[in-house]
Amino acid sequence: MNEPVSTFKLFGLTFDIGNMVSLVVVAAIVFFFIFALSRKLQIKPTKKQNVLEMIVEYTNGLSTNSLSAKNAKPYGLYAFVLFVFLFISNQLGLFLEVAYNGVTYVKSPTSNPVVTMTLAVMALGLAHFAGVSKLGFKGYFSSTYLKPFKLWLPLNIFEEFANFLTLGLRLFGNIFAGELLLGMVSNLVVTHGVVMVIPGFILGMAWVGFSIFIGTIQSLVFVILTFVYISQKIQPEE
Amino acid sequence: MLSQTLFSSVAATEEGGLAIGNIIFTAIVFIVLMALIKHYAWKPLSDVMAKRADKISNDISSAEKSRKDAEELAKKREVALSKSRDDANDIINNAKDSAQKQSEQIVSEARNDAQSVKASAQKDIEQERKDALANTKDDVANLSVEIASKIIQKELKSDDQKALIDSYIEGLGKQNAR
Repeated sequence: MNEPVSTFKLFGLTFDIGNMVSLVVVAAIVFFFIFALSRKLQIKPTKKQNVLEMIVEYTNGLSTNSLSAKNAKPYGLYAFVLFVFLFISNQLGLFLEVAYNGVTYVKSPTSNPVVTMTLAVMALGLAHFAGVSKLGFKGYFSSTYLKPFKLWLPLNIFEEFANFLTLGLRLFGNIFAGELLLGMVSNLVVTHGVVMVIPGFILGMAWVGFSIFIGTIQSLVFVILTFVYISQKIQPEE
Repeated sequence: MLSQTLFSSVAATEEGGLAIGNIIFTAIVFIVLMALIKHYAWKPLSDVMAKRADKISNDISSAEKSRKDAEELAKKREVALSKSRDDANDIINNAKDSAQKQSEQIVSEARNDAQSVKASAQKDIEQERKDALANTKDDVANLSVEIASKIIQKELKSDDQKALIDSYIEGLGKQNAR
């Protein structure tokens, strides 16, 4: 299933237009959603502000689950943006899929492994950076790679790569599978004609509902795991 | 199928170059989004939430203070109330005492007055009685004299009268001679 992509080259780098459009659409939706909610902030919150504060409180809760409140404070914004961004990304492909000349331009950006792995690299980079800034390079190195004893070094290095791959690929796999199966259901209707309209519709509805659930869970898991990794790096186990 | 997609997406192009453009673009989009949200939503929201936390803690401490004030005030009022109750009791007792005294005084005065009035009345009555008695004596004397003179007038004849007058005159003469 090699989907065609339309690409262009700039400064020797290859850009995927469909991917870029999806990312920008998601970013725009997230921004305007948050922007609209954050107008006219008051000490005594209104309906919109309550919604925003509920999301913020929720993501703050995710970060303080693994970190102490003091340690979690600098990552509040990251957790908030990451969660909302992933949530919208995961759902976008379920509602909106724009294709032109066989090239899909608008879909879930998180159904692209490059995007999810980039986010995973950013999350783990943040975790390692936090570890170094908190414990110093020596403390970071020994607590991350030389525990429980020095011989564990190769395993620990392997673990870091495993963390990176699982973090990125878990999200990608879930969302990609969701879109793939949705595509197959719609194909079923297209190839079998009128007979399959009603079963296809029911199947599609069920699968979209399940995918919304999966997308929500996966954005949640991604944020939680990011903070688990950060906490592992800044709070060495005894 | 999954690995194929994975591979093709990572490879992205026929030349097999890693999709570094996508990686950079993803990172840039995410970082820009974070910066925008920080500027337009996160900072104002954090400010508002911090302000709210301040306000709530202020409210709590001020409520604590006013509660203490109210308690103090209530205590003061309690004290003042009991004091005024005592005062009122004192005043009532004083008033009772003075009223008692006054009433006793009035009663004794009235008794004295009544006694003096009674005494003077008795004296007056005695006097009246005496006067009346004296008057009656006089009247009786006059009456008896009149009655006697009437009786005498009737029995005395003119010569007898003459003889009587003479005897009087004689008596007068004797008196003068002495």
